[in-house]
Amino acid sequence: MTEIRISGGAVHDPASDVDGDIRDVCLRDGKVVDDVGPEARRIDARGMVVMAGGVDIHAHIAGPKVNAARKLSPEDRRDEPHDRTEVLRSGTGGLVPSTFATGYRYSLLGYTTVIEAAAPPLAARHVLSELRDTPMIDKAFLILMGNNQVLFELIRESGGGVSPPLRDAVAWWLEATGGYGVKLVNPGGVELWKQNNGQITSLDDEIAGFGVTPRQVLEAVGGAVHELGLPHPVHIHANNLGVPGNADTTLDTMRTLAGRQAHFAHVQFHSYGGKPGGLPRSRAPELLEFLSAHPEITVDVGQVMFGPAMTMTADAHVSAVLRDLDGGKWLNHDTEVETGCGIVPYTYKAGNYVHALQWGIGLELFLLGQDPWQVMLSTDHPNGGSFLSYPKLIRLLMDRSFRDDQMRRANQRAIRRTALLDGLDREYSLNEIAIITRAAPARRLGLRDKGHLGIGADADVTIYHDRADREEMFATPRYVVKGGEVAVEEGDLRRSDDGLLLSSRAAFDPEVSSVLEPRFGDRYTVAFEHYPVWDPALREPARIVEAGRS
Amino acid sequence: MADFGPVTCAGCGLLCDDVTVEMSSDGVRARPECPLAAQWFAVRMHPPDGAAATINGDAADVESALARAAELLRGARRPLVHGFEGATVEDARAAVALADRLGALVATGQLEGPWPGAPAVPLRGACTGTLGEIRDRSRVVVIWREDPETTHPRLLERLGLDDVPGRTLVVVDDRGTATAQRADLGLSWPRERDLEALTSLHVLQRGLAVRPSELAAELRRLIERLRAVPHAAFVYGPGLTAGAGAQRRVLALHELVRALCHERHVVTLELPRAPGIRGADDVLAWQTGYGGAVDLAGGHPELVTATQPLDDVDLRLLVEPGQTAAAEIALGGPAAGPDVNVWIRTAAPGVAASGTAHRLDGVPLALQAPRPDVAPTAAVLLTRLLQEVER
Repeated sequence: MTEIRISGGAVHDPASDVDGDIRDVCLRDGKVVDDVGPEARRIDARGMVVMAGGVDIHAHIAGPKVNAARKLSPEDRRDEPHDRTEVLRSGTGGLVPSTFATGYRYSLLGYTTVIEAAAPPLAARHVLSELRDTPMIDKAFLILMGNNQVLFELIRESGGGVSPPLRDAVAWWLEATGGYGVKLVNPGGVELWKQNNGQITSLDDEIAGFGVTPRQVLEAVGGAVHELGLPHPVHIHANNLGVPGNADTTLDTMRTLAGRQAHFAHVQFHSYGGKPGGLPRSRAPELLEFLSAHPEITVDVGQVMFGPAMTMTADAHVSAVLRDLDGGKWLNHDTEVETGCGIVPYTYKAGNYVHALQWGIGLELFLLGQDPWQVMLSTDHPNGGSFLSYPKLIRLLMDRSFRDDQMRRANQRAIRRTALLDGLDREYSLNEIAIITRAAPARRLGLRDKGHLGIGADADVTIYHDRADREEMFATPRYVVKGGEVAVEEGDLRRSDDGLLLSSRAAFDPEVSSVLEPRFGDRYTVAFEHYPVWDPALREPARIVEAGRS
Repeated sequence: MADFGPVTCAGCGLLCDDVTVEMSSDGVRARPECPLAAQWFAVRMHPPDGAAATINGDAADVESALARAAELLRGARRPLVHGFEGATVEDARAAVALADRLGALVATGQLEGPWPGAPAVPLRGACTGTLGEIRDRSRVVVIWREDPETTHPRLLERLGLDDVPGRTLVVVDDRGTATAQRADLGLSWPRERDLEALTSLHVLQRGLAVRPSELAAELRRLIERLRAVPHAAFVYGPGLTAGAGAQRRVLALHELVRALCHERHVVTLELPRAPGIRGADDVLAWQTGYGGAVDLAGGHPELVTATQPLDDVDLRLLVEPGQTAAAEIALGGPAAGPDVNVWIRTAAPGVAASGTAHRLDGVPLALQAPRPDVAPTAAVLLTRLLQEVER
């Protein structure tokens, strides 16, 4: 195994309270160590910035909905194809790159760990197959459980709370799929959409046919995840995404889970004032105020970037709304028992009031937030924009003059309805960028070996030229080290690496099978015994994070 | 021999995974009863005796066949990788990897025959659902010019049309098929009028009038059925997607469904022409970004349209092409057929080898190996070929 000494760089490792100190970082056997021998490869990092590899806590990179988006938009693939080389596979780019290109491009950006944030458990075998073909990064996926009819039944039987069978069922599902965490998307709302295009308006609406409410789903599944001690808390895409006035729902959801660990995804899309059917306004400051009083809750922003995007979501009702707004392509897919899916190619326009407001609300969340450990970077790739836009987003946060210039190009009526014109002069430091792009996501995911450069951490390191143009700096790392081997050098990929599948595991009573099997027989068209994915070829190489140990 | 099951049957795209196979001196029987399943297992349980491989028709060992295959592939100017009708996802992953290295053309669809037009779904999208969604929610199921009683014998059962009261089966066909005989409402017009019928249905759905005719009367009966329910499904397949004008027909169907979706929930389900195609096409899409046919000759994937000439193909690599033939890979000249240069028997997925297949609705399923075989899988052979070619 290679030994590497990264010498003389300015190290930004906020998890270790290191803020730009000039020091060496030593790597051996895939880990950060305190020292290496004289024969170690020396990377001269003088004048450069050294950070842990990036960790993307919320993106959509693999699985049936991602692949459906590829098939839906062949014209988008033509941009920037990736030629095969002696060691690399070919691929195509655009908003939803092919799997190999996805891994390569994340690596070229300095990211070494990515979370697929919404996988139907029924499709786990497909998700795992795609992830096996996504190289260079360690990866995990969250399984969708907010509209699972079997769980609805268990919740109803428990009177709306956490019961041992429910807790065991959640653990069983993770074990059966290789998933890492639990995602709730529009709890109850997707089921109503599939029934008759219905929708949830309040957390206390009854989910027709099941006798439970979204609030009970949040409490029961969120509570089960909490009691199981999974490394990542329940990951929530709240009800009423994109609806003016939805901040009420978001705050209600946060209050419902207050006191328990929870992560709220792409909260920009959930921070709107106004009334349904009307124009939205920003209520980001209220959400941030709530967050500041509730450190147990974290969020990722889901920043909108002006330009093309590919909206894809389990919240299929939202896609139908975009279909009617846009009139263009629309794909809907209903997955039995578990979830739905909607896909609409979309373009965010700077001159459009709503789009500019969304852009402004995202920046408000970043810039008004008190604690960067609570507010993490995401574009909900590719919903708000491609992960390739992260460098531009970082520049927006670090460079006020650039931000002001971009702001002037946006719809001014919308911008005036945000706090961005109120003398908001905050500029993120490099350490704050390190927090929102690796340290905080890794900590929130319970990945103790990632997101930092302390002794024993994974040897995932990104080294940047310290350029004044922060977009250029973060778009083209000088080196990326993955698992202790140099993966990117001078902007070129030098090797291929399969990456690890990250899974979590919690103990459960195996007798839960007797609870689940008859319910499967009633609902699924796949036999209970054939549902789990055990194939080593799909689940390995893996790192399993045990519950209760993060 | 002992019975085995339940296992997944890849005899058609339904991939029923509740199948028990009974072996007796009378032959092979599948339970639940399904003629395709019985035939599929029977063929694969008893692969033909003979060589494990051939080179130019002469028996050979697998290693020699692989060496010859690698030699042919290295020398090919314009190789084509195709077939996949009986392939697993693992086979397809290995095949596309090899194609990438070779700079080959890969096709999961049929390249010959009348040009159906580019796929319709990328033009406007689609609304789809899994079998369970249709079974549990759709009150009207319209089967459009397909005969699943023959091609997917358990489809109606799996969609709940056998035993769930209050369901209506509508069949559009003029052929008097076995499926049409089970219809609650049968509609009949010539295939050439399908596009007219679909666009007229769209007009009727909007509450507008169409010119009175026999066809219009039939269409009104259908639209009335659809309007009366909150949830419906359309099942279609090669009857719409094959042949000249297919793109317009399929586009018209999806536009109709899209319009219907404003007032109710309507989904579609496509019956593939062979069970391995869905998984192979998914693999092709995730590895290259495109489904259908992809040209890797330029060093990166490029979407192929059938308007491009294929007459420069000088070597074909056929991957698991058949359902009734023994599992195999084969290399041959431009007219792959009896004069195959290299042929290697493979372990039949779902009987002799495990793997993954994607059901016609996209649901991934495990294929089991109740009768393991010493023969290698296509995935193993193709990976070996990749290693040989890279030497």
